[in-house]
Amino acid sequence: MSEALSRSLDRISRVRGVRGSLFVAADDGLAVAQLLMEGVNGKTVAAFAASLTRKVSGAAGATGAGRVRFVQMQCEDGTLLVALAGELLVVALADAGVNIGLARLEMMRAAETAL
Amino acid sequence: MSLVNFTTREITCKIVYYGPGRSGKTTNLQYIYGQVPDDRRGRMVSLATQTDRTLFFDFLPLELGSISGFTTKFQLYTVPGQVYYNATRKLVLQGADGVVFVADSQIRQLDENLESLQNLHQNVLEHGIDIRTLPMVMQFNKQDLPRELILAPQELDDALNFRGAQTLSADALHGQGVFETLKAISAEVLRKLSESSATARRG
Amino acid sequence: MTTTTVVEAWTEQPLVRFVGQSSARIVVVMTPAGQVLAQHGFTRAVDLMSAAALGAAIMASSGALAQQVGESTFGALYHAGQRHGIHLAACNTPRGRLIVLTVFGRETSIGLVQVFFEEFVIALRQAAPVEEPRGPVLPADFENELNSSLATLFRR
Repeated sequence: MSEALSRSLDRISRVRGVRGSLFVAADDGLAVAQLLMEGVNGKTVAAFAASLTRKVSGAAGATGAGRVRFVQMQCEDGTLLVALAGELLVVALADAGVNIGLARLEMMRAAETAL
Repeated sequence: MSLVNFTTREITCKIVYYGPGRSGKTTNLQYIYGQVPDDRRGRMVSLATQTDRTLFFDFLPLELGSISGFTTKFQLYTVPGQVYYNATRKLVLQGADGVVFVADSQIRQLDENLESLQNLHQNVLEHGIDIRTLPMVMQFNKQDLPRELILAPQELDDALNFRGAQTLSADALHGQGVFETLKAISAEVLRKLSESSATARRG
Repeated sequence: MTTTTVVEAWTEQPLVRFVGQSSARIVVVMTPAGQVLAQHGFTRAVDLMSAAALGAAIMASSGALAQQVGESTFGALYHAGQRHGIHLAACNTPRGRLIVLTVFGRETSIGLVQVFFEEFVIALRQAAPVEEPRGPVLPADFENELNSSLATLFRR
């Protein structure tokens, strides 16, 4: 894992409630770099995050809302966050009560580093 | 197509053993492998099914030593014989410099021999090659079987050899005719190679 | 409309589910010799036959290459094309070793195919009957087996 990517993931993972963070190749849905807690299946998260982003981008395009920058999927027991960085996605899987603002901040920073 | 390196004075040619299933193509290579000294051959690769039928190819690299001042290397391949594997058989045939057609001498296999020959013609055509210009020899294998079960070489020649290719009888399992076949196809391939280079020099 | 057809009934449910989840366009389940057990997406026997023979040959070649570099076997192969991707992988089941060829388009991704392939393998293992010990296969039988599975799939 490159140092820059590693540092980015580290910062994201320090946000309380984040259980896993990944850089994912948007086209393939494959994790390029990851930092995960026990029990988090990086492969599955990567694949579905990429798929979700693709669908959301399609919806944004169709509604004339422009390019997607950030995706937040809020569920009962957790949150999936995706920041778009060109051909890469910055993905975080977190508890339902995570500080979204803080997580998003770190993720957008990571996205800029990756670009 | 033969690879000729005038700097290192090396020639590499590809010979494909073709024929219907179970005619003895792999047996030919296995015999050669067993007989040629270690320093004159590479490892034999056999991509086969669990029941030892060739699935994709057998491959055996050989060094024949110096011929006309050129170190001559041959790459021997076999193809799977079953009709089912035509797609992969076609791939193996690509770039062949010479073909050994291994016919099964058994009377009951005559149709299979013919079908395989037609298949060879078809596949060669699809590669854009005129089969009449492709060096070829025919091996009539399993000539060791009881007379009543097989066709004699002359009969096989009449039935299969439309091209008038050189023919040889063989019992590949016990090695008869195997090296003679290899020598024959080597001679044909090298003859063609020297003819083409003579033409190229003149042209 | 592309359909799913099977030679061995136990493969049907896992295959239908895998196709639905992964959005694969073509799936072929076969033995290492290229004999087809189930398929989705082909309408012509000749096309299926070529794909199966080629898929089996690629796996055999990769296996031989793996041995040359000191690996026992490679897990899976992925080929990325302009419009399609190909995923080729083997799995062990009670029925024996099987090869699965998956062709997919841009509506899905290799990441998703891999995720659902793992579930597919689990489902195949659960559904598979135990392989009965087979006697030696006669040359004529071998060819017949290859061809009869095609006939079953295309109901000829």
